[in-house]
Amino acid sequence: MARTMARRLQAAVRRRPHVWFLLPAVLLYLAFFILPTLGSYWLALYNWSGLGPIGNFIGLHNFGRALHSSVFRSAALHNLWIFISLGVITNTLSLGLAVLLDRKSRLRGVYRAIIFLPYVMSPLVTGFIWEVLLSPNIGVVNPVLRAVGLGTLQHAWLADPHLALAVVISALAWQWNALATVIFMAGLQNVPPEMREAAVIDGASELRVFRHVTLPYLAPAFTIVNVLLAIYAFRVFDLVYVLGGPIGAPAGSTLVLGTEIYGNAFGRGAFNSATQLSYAMAEGVLLFTVIGVVAAALLIVLARRERHLH
Amino acid sequence: MSATSISSRRSKRSRARRASLTSHAILIVVCAFVLAPCYFLLMGSFKSVSEFFSTPLSLPHRFGLSNYREAWAQGAISTTITNSIIVTTSSVILSTAISCLASYAIARLPFRGGTFLRLAFLAGLLVPVQLIMLAIFIIMRWLGILDTLLSLIIVYATFGIPLGVLVLVGFFQAIPRELSEAAIIDGAGHFQTFLRIILPLARAPILTVIILNGVWIWNDFFIPLVLTTNPNVATLPLGILNFYGVYSTEWGLIFASVVIAALPILILYLLMTKRFIAGLTAGSVKG
Repeated sequence: MARTMARRLQAAVRRRPHVWFLLPAVLLYLAFFILPTLGSYWLALYNWSGLGPIGNFIGLHNFGRALHSSVFRSAALHNLWIFISLGVITNTLSLGLAVLLDRKSRLRGVYRAIIFLPYVMSPLVTGFIWEVLLSPNIGVVNPVLRAVGLGTLQHAWLADPHLALAVVISALAWQWNALATVIFMAGLQNVPPEMREAAVIDGASELRVFRHVTLPYLAPAFTIVNVLLAIYAFRVFDLVYVLGGPIGAPAGSTLVLGTEIYGNAFGRGAFNSATQLSYAMAEGVLLFTVIGVVAAALLIVLARRERHLH
Repeated sequence: MSATSISSRRSKRSRARRASLTSHAILIVVCAFVLAPCYFLLMGSFKSVSEFFSTPLSLPHRFGLSNYREAWAQGAISTTITNSIIVTTSSVILSTAISCLASYAIARLPFRGGTFLRLAFLAGLLVPVQLIMLAIFIIMRWLGILDTLLSLIIVYATFGIPLGVLVLVGFFQAIPRELSEAAIIDGAGHFQTFLRIILPLARAPILTVIILNGVWIWNDFFIPLVLTTNPNVATLPLGILNFYGVYSTEWGLIFASVVIAALPILILYLLMTKRFIAGLTAGSVKG
């Protein structure tokens, strides 16, 4: 019985060579991607701290609790702020830098290498540098402000709940700008030089050339950058964790969904070590839904705009 | 030629020069903004704790390696850097090999469900790591391999697949059919064709996948944070985070260990800047 089954399997594989090629990827992906994703949906319906036996089935209770929780809402709002602020920076500063880097110049290679550098820096290193730069004890930002006569602007930057999120966003922007600029740069290379030259000969101003010739060709780059940004802004964890920890210090002002989920699942260290794994999973499922909806909405809107521009 | 057209040409040229000067000025300011924190980090790694307070803006008194030596010993960096090297290389090799195989089937073998499979892999790019790691923690606990390098390698190898498929399927599809059909007619099997014809042509995109996944795995600390508690299996970033928790006022040591963590990738980046940038754009624009 087992033998005939094995033989039948062998014959099937010979008839379908793709099975061999796909097998390792599909097995790993099923076991360590699909299963845990679906498993989270299922476990989110239970009351379970993560330790001991799984508790009672409580239906959608965890989801309702998350949606009504002010902590969850404020974390989601922080993600939204990150998305919006980085969106503004990306579509102005990064785009502008890409345009400047597109000009022929002997230093272009050097500029590019430097502007792209933050991408290869680990979020840990980045977060750490920012934390120390702004530290009231050993930082350099406050001494520099004093030195140039702007001493009144000195702050305990990361200790001030009104400023901490802005600091986190600046650090994220420092790092994210690298990727956005490079993608815009690649998009600019798709603009045929003849088109631009023709417009210039026709007497169009630089601004008009940019608006009517360059921008339409950049439409796909806009789509990619903004969809990637949505994924980045809502999934963000490492850098925020370094700067604010699992409690989103100070006073939850830097808590994002990533750190909120982690804190609920594995405890918040000395502050609160109680774990609520299934609740964290419900929050994760909600986060996944938000990412899916935002990414899909952006894709639909921007793809329609792409068609419109061409 | 009339006088007006000469003067207008001259003004055009001076306007172009002014534009180019402005553009250089802006780029230099931005570059300074990028480099200043890195400079501060590097200088800090040579300073003693008292120097941080007394002379925060000036150069260190001397460029000795004592901070580095002490950080290396106290931060157990020889252990964590070895772990990082083992985990990064094995999961990148595993993930790339698996992605190549799967991408070949999706791009070039006729079977039903190829498009679905491709989409299923790509959907992986949307799933938040924070959600999926909770359940993976439970799976690893159930398998009894929490706190091992193996669990990290499995997770990284799997999480690298979506990006691999994204970059490689598009490239494999673009290779002309005639190339592989000729080989198949000559009697080579699919595996031979894949190995001898397709892979050598795909060196550039494979390098892209290796770079993108390699940088991410080397830098990541979330996955080890969830799956390990034993300091002997900590990776370099996690080791530094723990070190930071314990020696939070030994700034010089922390700076030195952070520089050590950033250095390998930085050197690779400086050696292959063009490859990094080209790879990154290929990875993101192909989608």
